[in-house]
Amino acid sequence: MAVTYELVKEVTARLYETSLRKIPEDTKQALRAAAGRDRSETARKTLRIMVQSAEAAERQQHFVCSDSGVPVYFVKLGTRVQLVGDFKRAIVDGFAELVRTISPPLLQHVTHPLTLERGYQGKDMPIVTYDLIDGADYVEITCSPKALGSGRWAALEIFSFPSLETIEGYVMQVILKAGSQHCPPVVIGVGIGGTFDYAAKLAKEAMLRPFGQPHAEPMVAAMEERLLKAANATGFGPMGTGGDTTAMAVHVNYAAGHGFTPVAVCFNCWINRRTRARLYNSGLVEYAE
Amino acid sequence: MSSTHQLTLPLQEAQVRALKTGDLVYLSGELVMTAGLPTHQRILACVQSGQPLPLNLAGEVLLQFGGYNREVDGRMQVVYMNPTTSTRFNPYMPTLIRKLGLRAVGGKGGLDAESARAMQESGCVYLSFPGGGCTLYSGAIREVLAVEWRDLILHYRLMRLRVENLGPGTVGIDAAGNSLYDQLAAQAAQRLPEILEQLRRARAQAAASRGAPS
Repeated sequence: MAVTYELVKEVTARLYETSLRKIPEDTKQALRAAAGRDRSETARKTLRIMVQSAEAAERQQHFVCSDSGVPVYFVKLGTRVQLVGDFKRAIVDGFAELVRTISPPLLQHVTHPLTLERGYQGKDMPIVTYDLIDGADYVEITCSPKALGSGRWAALEIFSFPSLETIEGYVMQVILKAGSQHCPPVVIGVGIGGTFDYAAKLAKEAMLRPFGQPHAEPMVAAMEERLLKAANATGFGPMGTGGDTTAMAVHVNYAAGHGFTPVAVCFNCWINRRTRARLYNSGLVEYAE
Repeated sequence: MSSTHQLTLPLQEAQVRALKTGDLVYLSGELVMTAGLPTHQRILACVQSGQPLPLNLAGEVLLQFGGYNREVDGRMQVVYMNPTTSTRFNPYMPTLIRKLGLRAVGGKGGLDAESARAMQESGCVYLSFPGGGCTLYSGAIREVLAVEWRDLILHYRLMRLRVENLGPGTVGIDAAGNSLYDQLAAQAAQRLPEILEQLRRARAQAAASRGAPS
């Protein structure tokens, strides 16, 4: 038995499509809870509209947002997985077929960065990164389509032997700069350490962590908790029109590094596109969202 | 307490000036929309050179919404629509608001202080529609009256629609010069020292509970 080209093509397209039509359950719950808690009337109303919109999209199998973003996949390959056929090709073909068949059709968001021409395809699209899981007999694929609304506010800066005060001060600076722009309430991912490229990946992975799973190390979990309070003390609120709910979660990941410490901060907007599946050698597929 | 307004388009200046930040509005009638930067540049070029626009924008509501449009049996359809980030259009909006006498601009994320000044002078408001409201807003479309500049990609085209009860949109900038966006940015900047102090205290507490130096 093996994980085949056909299976990867079908599952990656489905992960993308699901992320457009359905927001994760934990996110819906977080929005509902915030709608009952926020002290601002405008915020409560906005949060209720968000829940209504998400429910309507799911019920009608429509899109939550018209901006389907660009397709982004995070792949973790188990070292005991048998692959049959081209893996990246399967993802490219799966997206191309989705573009041809999805109803309603998608708008053109894949942008050539030098000419600003837009289409459904482009160099290196879909964006896929790969990691390994030693000993696993499955491939885990996370799909996180990314659009300008929240994508443009991610930031990274490199510090030299920073204190926690410096790191957290920088996170707040990025949050204040994003302000009302990134369709809050957002999920905030923070990646600390490693190298330039690795810190950004850590932040992305942190952002995609389900709610209610604080970092395993108490020191980092405490940082997540205090940064969430701090983000919500800013007052930007849902859609940036004021309130206590600017972020639904702050997730932090870190890696050891050298004396230079990159700090990366990224955001997922309130619809929190995040779908995940495991594809086993047996042909079984487990969908996590 | 904020109010909720059911507004029929076109809007009169007095109606617009009666709206306050935080109010909710539902729109019924004809409006114009586009999500394109090239479209805004083209509108500005027309306004500045005196060339006619392909559809009327004077005194209208302009939504910065993207929409999937197509022709079915000789009639244009907008299959879905959704707000886009308005701040991308900051450089164009003060002139467009003043020269076209726009009565409302809608999108998400607001506009800058210069646009807010133009709104105050002209009698115009900014309406915030939640991004991710695609299904709700698309249900308000009753008729597609025109789709212009079809050389542009679908969501950049200039579209004239008739909608019924499109909303709710939140008044983010009113015609008295109040902008929730500017107020909230200033408030956050003002709160920052206290927020950083709270973070410092929380770090000290966490360090103490682990028995480590803070």
